[in-house]
Amino acid sequence: MWRALVAVCFLCLANLAGAQELQAVPRLTARITDQTATLAPDQRSRLESKLTDFERQKGAQIALLIVPSVSPETVEQYALRVVESWKLGRKGVDDGVLLLVAKDDRKLRIEVGYALEGALNDATAKRIISETITPRFKQGDYFGGIDAGLDAMIKVIGGEPLPAPKPVNSAVNGAFDLESMLPIGFILVFVVGGILRSIFGRFLAAGIVGGAAGVVVSLIFSSMLIAVIVGVVAFVVSLLAGFRGGGGGGGRGWSSGSSSSSWGGGFSGGGGSFGGGGASGGW
Amino acid sequence: MRIRILAVLAIVVSLLSGCGYNSFQTGDEAIKSAWSEVINQYQRRADLVPNLVSTVQGYASHEKDVLTQVTQARAQVGSIQATPELINNPESFAKFQQAQAGLSSALSRLLVVTENYPNLKADASFRDLQAQLEGTENRITVARNRYIKSVEAYNVSVRTFPNNLTAMMLGYQVKPNFSVENEKAISVAPKVDFGGGKK
Repeated sequence: MWRALVAVCFLCLANLAGAQELQAVPRLTARITDQTATLAPDQRSRLESKLTDFERQKGAQIALLIVPSVSPETVEQYALRVVESWKLGRKGVDDGVLLLVAKDDRKLRIEVGYALEGALNDATAKRIISETITPRFKQGDYFGGIDAGLDAMIKVIGGEPLPAPKPVNSAVNGAFDLESMLPIGFILVFVVGGILRSIFGRFLAAGIVGGAAGVVVSLIFSSMLIAVIVGVVAFVVSLLAGFRGGGGGGGRGWSSGSSSSSWGGGFSGGGGSFGGGGASGGW
Repeated sequence: MRIRILAVLAIVVSLLSGCGYNSFQTGDEAIKSAWSEVINQYQRRADLVPNLVSTVQGYASHEKDVLTQVTQARAQVGSIQATPELINNPESFAKFQQAQAGLSSALSRLLVVTENYPNLKADASFRDLQAQLEGTENRITVARNRYIKSVEAYNVSVRTFPNNLTAMMLGYQVKPNFSVENEKAISVAPKVDFGGGKK
């Protein structure tokens, strides 16, 4: 056991030492991350709102990252590290795209999530790079190239049938994530159920606990369906807890399905994955 | 009596999970899926070859040597059954590696040759194929890296104490990983960059 721990520690240390030489992956706070101050504030906000609108319409997440340099890595390696940490695209749908521009290296890459590898395939991505973006970059028109490139990507992805995006308001709020509240709920059900059982007897107590849990949940989530499910589960659990040796188990079957992509101030990836699809180019 | 059996069962279960049996299963499954992705991407590359060869042939038909080499390497790759069981057999794993490396270098030679044919390089379908090939090579690299990581995690878990006792008892062995020479052969080959003229 200790040896395993020590080995893991060494691995971590080795990873850290190796990682320090590489370019750090910036924190994801907005769809447009510009570390070179290439874009003017109004250009930035125009691109940002374009991508926001697109995500609202289609659900797919497109992000832009401009860095000075990716050396010592290649643009492909760096792009993969970025998308692995940003996780653009919805979880399970994998509809994220990253446009990475390494300005001083004069290299760029379109990194495509699994679901979009059909629409925005390598050949299409390559064409967008070599016919739309790089001609403008060559003339020093970075905004024009990026703008036109994003438009081309949006057009291509727009034709792809993807699951509809979630309506903004009914998205489950991150603070009340069902999964994180589950353990607390269970403990409450057991404790309160135990007390009530000694007062009212098994069946009645379970009914009270189930009903109360349903009411509380419906207040928090304003969703009748979840409330009913939770109520029934709480009822069954506290009923089973009344039998000696029974109880426990079950319950963790459903997940919140929260996409965590809030459309408010911040921006975060939805949990999509990438397999190295896309194309690179230079100018 | 029943309680005693249950207790014994509980101890056995906790011992097994404590000694890494479960982590072997998890690791094994992770390796399998990572390996499927590797095979998948290699297959994708092999599927591109016939198209590529026929396109190049249209413009550079007298480059017979290189074209035959690619076709042969492609045939060699196709002759190896890339089953999931391959990863449990170091010998056929090495063979598979060799065949894929052979195709890699044949392809890179082909791409070097195409540099001499401006008409070919301007051909739209050739450019598309080239983009697909580049993308696929990148996917192969990604898939291989993920495979390497999952094998590493598995092998560490099989070889460290106390899991190694469980592994010995139940016959779990370390899995072969991509070796360094192959890594070099393959990671160098696709780096033929047409735009920049970098070889």
